[in-house]
Amino acid sequence: MNVLELSHVYKGFARTEGEEVTQALDDINFSVHDGEFLSIVGPSGCGKSTIMRLIAGLIFPTAGTITLNGEIIKGTDTERGMVFQKPTLFPWLTVEKNLNFTARMQGRRHDAEYKAEAERLLELAGLSEFRNDYPHQLSGGMAQRLALIRTMINHPKVFLLDEPLGALDAFTRMNMQDEILSLWQRSNHIVLMVTHDIDEAIYLGTRIIVMAPRPGRIREDLKNDLPYPRVRTSDEFLGLRKKVLELLNFGQSKNTKEAQKQLERSNKP
Amino acid sequence: MRKESTGIDVLSHLTRERLAELESRPKTPVRIFLDYSICFMPVVFGLAALAEYLFVPNLKGNTSTSTYTYFLAVLISVSAIYFVLSFFSKKVFYVLRYKAPFYAFIFVLLMLYDYLTLKTGKLVLPYFTWTDEILNAIWDDRAYLLDCTVNSLKLLFTGYLSGAVLGLITGVLCGCFKSVDYWISPFMKLVGAIPSPTWIPIVMVIASTLFSGAVFIIALGVWYSLTIATMTGIRNIDRSYYDAAKTLGANPLRLVLNIAVPFAVPNILQGLTQGMSSACLVLITAEMVGVESGLGWYVSWQKSWAQYGKMYAAIVVLCIVFIAVNWGLNALKRRLLRWQEGITE
Repeated sequence: MNVLELSHVYKGFARTEGEEVTQALDDINFSVHDGEFLSIVGPSGCGKSTIMRLIAGLIFPTAGTITLNGEIIKGTDTERGMVFQKPTLFPWLTVEKNLNFTARMQGRRHDAEYKAEAERLLELAGLSEFRNDYPHQLSGGMAQRLALIRTMINHPKVFLLDEPLGALDAFTRMNMQDEILSLWQRSNHIVLMVTHDIDEAIYLGTRIIVMAPRPGRIREDLKNDLPYPRVRTSDEFLGLRKKVLELLNFGQSKNTKEAQKQLERSNKP
Repeated sequence: MRKESTGIDVLSHLTRERLAELESRPKTPVRIFLDYSICFMPVVFGLAALAEYLFVPNLKGNTSTSTYTYFLAVLISVSAIYFVLSFFSKKVFYVLRYKAPFYAFIFVLLMLYDYLTLKTGKLVLPYFTWTDEILNAIWDDRAYLLDCTVNSLKLLFTGYLSGAVLGLITGVLCGCFKSVDYWISPFMKLVGAIPSPTWIPIVMVIASTLFSGAVFIIALGVWYSLTIATMTGIRNIDRSYYDAAKTLGANPLRLVLNIAVPFAVPNILQGLTQGMSSACLVLITAEMVGVESGLGWYVSWQKSWAQYGKMYAAIVVLCIVFIAVNWGLNALKRRLLRWQEGITE
């Protein structure tokens, strides 16, 4: 059983100019274990991506600890795979070579296991016939699928998705959500997905962390027990959606209050 | 079932030429006739140039041989063969249709030059020699010219390749490591401010042999342009490539070799092209000033004996050599940049 734990994580960034430091994350605590799909939602500037980059080991916390199975994260490792908002495919490599990049980096290019897995994933992502194409020849959805399987080939214990569907159109997006879901259900590892799409967060996550900005902190850690496949129009779904919206201050209540205030103001003589 | 849709037959086995043909407006017979007339133009102008050479009388005292006749005949035959081939291959047709006006223009230039020198002497001897003389000079001195060409190429490539390899290494180190950049950059600025031929007089005296001195100066220029180009390329890299590579298990060495260098390839190639033009410049200057072999030396040597025909001969050979070298460089570029948008389709 893999357990990822963040305890009392703070992160500050030095401003480009001046001595000031921006507090990006303030006392982040949560733990995730195998079989959980954690959606993280929040407005921009709430440090969602920072959490991802910390777990990936690309940056380090100012204070606090991040551990995977009790071990402190000291840098990047293939046991923690990350998919970025941009596909970040290497434009000078073909589809197949992009997929084999990680095997090459680990000196396992001729590994039969990797080869078979690459073949299986290419087939799964519908990219078999494009194996010799270059990234600029792929559509947005295809590119992001390749980015997904490029990370997945390592079977990471923790799968970090940093708004991977943010740049896709609505239809491709919904298809990809189902694909991500089925991939996760098959592997049953830890998935953390950052999104600013509330619908997506509820559709996918077993847990939804709602964040507040400046400094980034956790506002609520919601459980989502709805059975898969989830129906976007069911009452439970919509109820959860309403709750998240309210936590993000976009709820009905806020709007009504504002409207009432305005009404009162205009009624004053 | 009725076999419908001729469309499917039309659309099978598509090629690039076929696509262009299908999508363009149908050509009128007049247009087709005009196209082929243009393709035939080089042959016509070639024959005109030949007629000018054979039938216009020479200026009194000027002599000419049949070498130029053969030369023109060969060029005309090649034009004619391509014209015939254009009826059978669309690819040849498109290329020829595009290039033919310029080829015709070359024949016009040849004709004009011949008229101004051999026929009328408007361009006076000994500074201007007619093409026939130049061709004869090349042929008569072919063994020696070949020897000079080989020497020039040896010098050029020894300098160029060593400069390129060193420049690539320096550029990668400076681009990737701030600490290396700290020590190298000031010297780069110093060297960059001075055109590399400046060093020729000093180096020629200091260097143990003239050859090694010339190699050093050629390498210096190439090293500089390649270092700058590689460094710029690496500096411009999108950090997200590093991030992605790191999460995929790349160690720092791999980041340099598998991310930074491939990313900088377009810049590196630009540096190689720039370096080549500086190398050619230095090569010829060095050969004219000090090194006692090679085409540059041959040019200045023949000039000092007022052998302008031979001088032009060497210049023609130089042109051919440099064109060939640049062509090779461009072929390399096309091969290495297949992944770039707009180059492959």
